[in-house]
Amino acid sequence: MCDNSPTGTDAPVGLILAGIETEYGFTVEGRGADDQIEDAVAFVRGYPGPCFVGWDYCYESPRADLRGFRLDRLAVDPEDAKRDAGRTYGAPHEVRSDRILPNGARFYNDHGHPEYATPECWSLKELELHDTAGQFVLLRAARVLADATGSTVSVYKNNTDFHGSSYGTHESYLVPREVGFDRLFAAVTPMLIARQILCGAGKVGSESGSRADYQLTARGDFFTESANAETLFRRPIFNTRDEPHALPQKWIRLHVISGDANMIPSCTRRKVGLVKLALMLELAGQAPRWSVSHPVRAFQALSRDETRAYRVALDGRNWTTAYEIVESYLAAAETVLDLDAELVSLIAECRALLHDLSGPFVLAPRAIDWAAKKLILDAYREESGASWRDPVLQAYDLEYHNIDPADGLYFALESMEQADPMPSLDERLARLDGAPERSRAYARGLAVARFRGELTRACWRSLTFLVDGEETEVDLPPDRTYPLQLETAANVGTFIQILRNA
Amino acid sequence: MPDGDRLTKPLTREPEKGGEDTGPTRPAVPKPDGGNELLRRMKKIDPDQAKRYRQRSGQ
Repeated sequence: MCDNSPTGTDAPVGLILAGIETEYGFTVEGRGADDQIEDAVAFVRGYPGPCFVGWDYCYESPRADLRGFRLDRLAVDPEDAKRDAGRTYGAPHEVRSDRILPNGARFYNDHGHPEYATPECWSLKELELHDTAGQFVLLRAARVLADATGSTVSVYKNNTDFHGSSYGTHESYLVPREVGFDRLFAAVTPMLIARQILCGAGKVGSESGSRADYQLTARGDFFTESANAETLFRRPIFNTRDEPHALPQKWIRLHVISGDANMIPSCTRRKVGLVKLALMLELAGQAPRWSVSHPVRAFQALSRDETRAYRVALDGRNWTTAYEIVESYLAAAETVLDLDAELVSLIAECRALLHDLSGPFVLAPRAIDWAAKKLILDAYREESGASWRDPVLQAYDLEYHNIDPADGLYFALESMEQADPMPSLDERLARLDGAPERSRAYARGLAVARFRGELTRACWRSLTFLVDGEETEVDLPPDRTYPLQLETAANVGTFIQILRNA
Repeated sequence: MPDGDRLTKPLTREPEKGGEDTGPTRPAVPKPDGGNELLRRMKKIDPDQAKRYRQRSGQ
């Protein structure tokens, strides 16, 4: 039974819990998109590491809208609807094949894509570490699938197939319910539009609208509305899905779907950090207000702007630039917020990159995926005389996102010290075993590592154990730091008691 | 692009009238160098790989 009764706890001031969910693209030699759901099921189920199977779906509400209503149904991609006509894949939970890992992460099949959802993190650095650690999970599962099938399996951390299909990299930010849709939309949308100049993944060509040689973002072509709750089709800049993954009377999980998957870890950190600044400012009542006249057009125009002028049309036939939008948040944050060292560093880095984009263009190719990828493509075009329509450019684009360090082009740049590096191997591997920040992910991960024999269901917001023949659900409030004693609890009863007292 | 004013500050402050575009017209792109592991990998890539790459839509 799902219990949504309030508990009356308060969030730590200034901290925003965040996570990243990445749907990976993948290929199995000799197979295609028609086989993708079966292949994704096999992919996820082959993960060889310790995990718990038993995701609890009872709190999920993908059709609920932050604006106070509920959709009758969600739109689906017409091409996929054709593929699926007359086919059945089994019970939904069997198809999703959820795994919960000892670090609190969720690994599952989402619409035919293996998805790694990081543990929730307070700090940007931890989130970057968990996001990159997730690539090990994908590589390990891919190796098992390759061995089982005798086929080559390749995995891509990208967001498009260049033929009109997109798959997402979503961010989640937990904020107090009282902030509401109107304030969130006003505070965050200008940043979602403008931040792409500092963290877009880049893409060769276009998949809708007018032709483009090269874009800042992979996802820009797929947005058709400013705000709605859809994710598979008719996607919005600002997603209004109201699925808090926590007590709904108290929390909103802002579900950002307009970002790209990043290969450069500093780009991931920047992408999340900029939205956090916008949210922290709004919670302080001080987020800048920009009345972007048409968010979808603005997003797409920025994505296609190769001049780096980055103009943004505002209401009243006025205009500004993405530089000025981002800078307004940075300046307000410095004035209003009590910033920790991580955010101070983020602001300095963003300022340096804004300056670089408006002139020298020396830092950007090391730190921003779209610029790093363009460096590769421009060098090739200059050498070969190839036009932007040469199909090899999209092949290079795709392979930039190959997560195998032995093959991917980002990893070649990294090995040549021409792109910001991955975190150390030791740090990334350690994140597979646990979540050191002791957010609720720490408790979830420990339950999987130590008591998965007694665990019957688990999800973002609760754990359910079978103790003495009876099921016991324990809520995991997201605003707690969970105690170290969980690591030494002698038995599941003590573990539950410590959780309840946390 | 509209022909109104350029706003350099958000609406919470007094909007200022701005000047001309300041963005450069052509990126000054440095070439990758050092090796070259990048070129070695690029040579291995099938030029038609992305043509064949098809995925279902996700979220």
